[in-house]
Amino acid sequence: MTGRARARSRGRARGPEGATPGAPPPQQVPPQEPQRPGGELVGRGRQRVAPGALGTETFSQISAGFQQVKIGERGGRRRDFHDTGINTRQAMEHVRESKTGVSGSPIELRANFFRLVSRPQWVLYQYHVDFNPPMESRRLRSALLFQHEEALGSARTFDGAALFLPRRLQTETILFSETKHGEKVKITVTLTNELPPTSPVCLQFYNIIFRRILRILNMQQIGRHYYNPQDPLNIPQHRLTIWPGFTTTILQYESSIMLSMDVSHKVLRSETVLSFMASLRQQSGPQRFAEVCTRELVGLGVLTKYNNKMYRIDDIAWDQTPTNTFKRGDTDISFKDYYRMQYGLEVSDDNQVLLVSNVKRLGPSGQPPPGPALLVPEFCYMTGLTDKMRNDYNIMKDLASHTRLTPEQRESRLTRFIGNIHRSADAQKELGNWGLNFDNKLLELRSRVLPAERIMQGSRTYEYNPWAADWSKEMRGLSLINSRPLENWMLFYASRNYEQAQALLQTLGRVSGPLGIRVQRAVMIEYEDRQDSLLRALQQNVGPGTQMVVCILTTNRKDKYDCVKKYLCVECPTPSQCVLARTLSRPQALMTIATKIALQINCKMGGELWSVEIPLKQLMVVGIDCYHDISAGKRSIGALVASLNPGMSRWFSKCVLQSRGQEIMDSLKGALEGALVAWRRYNDGLPARIMVYRDGVGDGMLQSVADYEVAQILECLRAVGTDYKPRLTVVVVKKRVSTRFFARIDGKLANPPPGTVVDIEVTRPEWYDFFIVSQAVRMGSVAPTHYNVVYDSSGLKPDHMQRLTYKLCHMYYNWQGIIRVPAPCQYAHKLAFLVGQSLHREPSSNLDDLLFYL
Amino acid sequence: MFSPSLCTQRHNFVVDFVQQHKPKKVIDLGCADCRLLRRLRFLRDVEFLVGVDIKSSSIKKKMHSLAPFPGEYLQPGNKPLTIELYEGSVIEEEPRTKGFDLATCIELIEHLQLAEVGRFSEVLFGYMQPTAVIVSTPNADFNCLLPGRPKLRNPDHKFEWTQVEFHSWASGICGAYGYAVEFTGVGKVTNGPESSGFCSQIGVFKRESSRSNVPPGDEVTEDVPVYSVLYRMEYPSLQNNNIFQRTLVNEVLYWAEHLRTQWAASQRGIGPEQTQDSQGLGAAAEGEQPFLHEGFLCIPLSSFMSCPRVRELSGSMVHLRDLLLGDPRVRLIANSVALDMGEEDPGVQSEEQADAWGSGRHGNVAVEEGIKEDWGAQVCKP
Repeated sequence: MTGRARARSRGRARGPEGATPGAPPPQQVPPQEPQRPGGELVGRGRQRVAPGALGTETFSQISAGFQQVKIGERGGRRRDFHDTGINTRQAMEHVRESKTGVSGSPIELRANFFRLVSRPQWVLYQYHVDFNPPMESRRLRSALLFQHEEALGSARTFDGAALFLPRRLQTETILFSETKHGEKVKITVTLTNELPPTSPVCLQFYNIIFRRILRILNMQQIGRHYYNPQDPLNIPQHRLTIWPGFTTTILQYESSIMLSMDVSHKVLRSETVLSFMASLRQQSGPQRFAEVCTRELVGLGVLTKYNNKMYRIDDIAWDQTPTNTFKRGDTDISFKDYYRMQYGLEVSDDNQVLLVSNVKRLGPSGQPPPGPALLVPEFCYMTGLTDKMRNDYNIMKDLASHTRLTPEQRESRLTRFIGNIHRSADAQKELGNWGLNFDNKLLELRSRVLPAERIMQGSRTYEYNPWAADWSKEMRGLSLINSRPLENWMLFYASRNYEQAQALLQTLGRVSGPLGIRVQRAVMIEYEDRQDSLLRALQQNVGPGTQMVVCILTTNRKDKYDCVKKYLCVECPTPSQCVLARTLSRPQALMTIATKIALQINCKMGGELWSVEIPLKQLMVVGIDCYHDISAGKRSIGALVASLNPGMSRWFSKCVLQSRGQEIMDSLKGALEGALVAWRRYNDGLPARIMVYRDGVGDGMLQSVADYEVAQILECLRAVGTDYKPRLTVVVVKKRVSTRFFARIDGKLANPPPGTVVDIEVTRPEWYDFFIVSQAVRMGSVAPTHYNVVYDSSGLKPDHMQRLTYKLCHMYYNWQGIIRVPAPCQYAHKLAFLVGQSLHREPSSNLDDLLFYL
Repeated sequence: MFSPSLCTQRHNFVVDFVQQHKPKKVIDLGCADCRLLRRLRFLRDVEFLVGVDIKSSSIKKKMHSLAPFPGEYLQPGNKPLTIELYEGSVIEEEPRTKGFDLATCIELIEHLQLAEVGRFSEVLFGYMQPTAVIVSTPNADFNCLLPGRPKLRNPDHKFEWTQVEFHSWASGICGAYGYAVEFTGVGKVTNGPESSGFCSQIGVFKRESSRSNVPPGDEVTEDVPVYSVLYRMEYPSLQNNNIFQRTLVNEVLYWAEHLRTQWAASQRGIGPEQTQDSQGLGAAAEGEQPFLHEGFLCIPLSSFMSCPRVRELSGSMVHLRDLLLGDPRVRLIANSVALDMGEEDPGVQSEEQADAWGSGRHGNVAVEEGIKEDWGAQVCKP
């Protein structure tokens, strides 16, 4: 993979929340019941089920009920990052009983989960609280109710209407309170529900309790997770500070409630935005400052000096300074005075421009958000890495050495931390209050490793070393399935790269023979090393007959690359290959590099490299991914890639730019139609099976995929013809999961081998889901990929579903090995990335049948 | 009725007082959910901040929000700050409450039984002897202006004093314990009669230095702590040696990196022939120029004095050298910080092993004409 491909696209930032100067602090609002389409949910009915004896069905009911009873630590509304209560498994009859596969050899694994050893014996009681006369203010209601601590006890949660207690009161309890003004209030507390310890409300409780534990251990909350500020790792050369921490979740997993815990690192910078801006100004000069500043800062998260909130910079208010005023209550106050009065903070630079952060959280009682918050750069610390830093090899190397933990290190951190919880008297007391306790060692489970695939290349097949998951050695000297001769092609080079150009040409000639690629001599075109002259050279030389354009670039400056790609993908559709001159400068690596380039060029022209056995006929596999382009007006880019032939070696690719607020699937419907038309061209008729792998689904977005996108796909298929009813499978692919697996190998904990499948214990009972570790990593711990089948009318056995998915991870032609996700997802990612980073426009449809974006 | 709220106004009053008089040690008696403490912790002239309340449950509710913000760790302040919270009664003598510069009793005394007020005064003014005390309490004269004309504003209030009652208590204190008092208050209505005064009356007591009581330390009795500590938090500050050292070293390394990039840029600028000859750079504006020595880039300590932050932290070059001398994170050669020349980016193809091409063709076998699976025929329920 190239550096470009490895760069991560930043996801949509999680909304910065809360009170900000310039925006009145939102009042706490009682949680509102989320609107759900469908309405097949079980309401707040009584759930009198004996603890521990829960069938899947009961659980699903409770889980669904949780959608409605949601309590937050402070009673506020919160997004459900764990996608609880979405029961997709129930609708799929063939996996209702079992969703486990059978293939492969057994393996003993450990996972980063801790069992709950003592499930609380208590039942949580839910009460409805009524005030007479009615009280408007939620705070007042809490205050009045909590005057009765002797009756209610100290362990309690109240969201303004629903009260949760671990103890049972009489069915109806009447209490009397008095307000400050001496008004007598009658409070009626009515028992409405008994919640067993496995109920989602209880689970939410456990999570809240666990967060308290983390705070007791002096961990600092940043965003969703907790970090330890006492023991930072520093990379002073870049003013980076890394806080080690943990992500924790307590959830109902396949057969029991468990605590899932993973090591997390927070990258902070001991530098304020103001000082960063000052050094930017110095580097870029005053003319380009505004542009550079916007590029570097927008999208970045900042932490403020005076509270514990994260804000995302959405814009820079070039016309605002700390001397500007905002409305606070009824009076106008300048930012400068506000910070002095409120926090004793002095603004040292009156001319600094303010930062804008759009507050997403709703205002008091469901009003629209109170408008953007303005932040003073001097009081904002930077967090995370800028794109520039991400591209800096040395920074990333330093960072990796701190944050990439081997399985052994990871395990020891986790068990040490759980040990700390066990040793801390305060923490034990808090857990004891609620009757909770956790195991002190990692979950052990028995799982399977899928057999290695045989790679087929023309008339030959071969196996690869299953641990390395790579066949670059094995494929040497073997001809490709289908190679495209290079007859009419061009090589562009800057004059000072003449030698590299010659070397590339020669080596390409040498390596292409064994691969079975016929190469004619290229047309060599020298260009002056400027963007405009490069473009002119392209315009003058590339014609309709040109099969391939290879361009040697002098530096990895993005503008020239973008210019080449823009011209050759949009205006004059021609496959192109850019190579950095530096890459070609090491003679000892030239053969390897030339081989890679030869393969890549061949793919871009429609060649096919290798294949694996796919035992399903008339199958079309579709990959979908999206890219959120923060700079270009926050447009999202959706990409759809669909297979065209039985060997999964030819692909149809389409990319759409969506406008703001539009669902990604609306625009991809057209792309899917296009894919079906193309499929018909390559095959007889239409595919009988369609398998969609949907990547790029964020936490908490599962609902919309399961409900909306599936319906859109079905509608799109119906539109093809009334008698066309293909079997459809939709799988949500998630790369960023906190689940980790460790294998015990030679007495040490190591990464599990590629092909490890886990479909028990750590999966979720309400889903048809499984994990596959498909790639091999050299550093750190491998991350498994989570597959969640949200819709399946294929009737395919879970075992075959898993194996097909694994097979598809072998089919990415830019990497002679197994990758993390099915190839169509990676292709879609590559395409969306190219469009989002370089093209900003839809590529020409002439290129649809080619992997031109590799 | 009041904007900002009366409670906020009382807290503003304390904050203003602290900003003006800059006490180092402040104790808040009856701190409840630590609201006042949460504001006082921003005022970094305060170095020791204590809250006391008889109800541990109300302290515990929000005490963790007194923890330092991330920024405090990222750029530790110059002054130390320690926050402690105790559970205890203000009518008991607790040795740890002695020697404060300011004690605040915001809306506290009216929650005591009238009979306990004498004992409270004795403990606060006679035993704790803070330099200054701020006492606020409801003004009963004002109650007629409040909606509903309550007798007591809160069911837990045991009494509410008129201005005269408050003044007489206060002047009694001054006489007995050697304090001077000034009366003020917060919350005034424009249309009310002058005699009703402030909604919350405030007395600011200052110990008279001339009339010193028993000097602290001369106590005969053994001091036994009676309060229990609920929370203790030491803020990161440069007064802590480890933090100071870490901050300084980080700053030095950052600046060294900065100087190195500058140096590298200037090297590229003058061409490859002269790279070894760093003297050729000409007279430097400040400090000496970096030079190469045995594979290290040596940056003279003198050039670090051009970094304001390093200069501020270390004071002088000699001191800087002493500070860096034993530190494992910095390599000193003579009077210079020596940097590894750093690794060049080996390029995107770094994963490639540059082994010989064409060696060992293995693992290749001919296509097996074997059994072909068809999963489509094996579906669970067609």
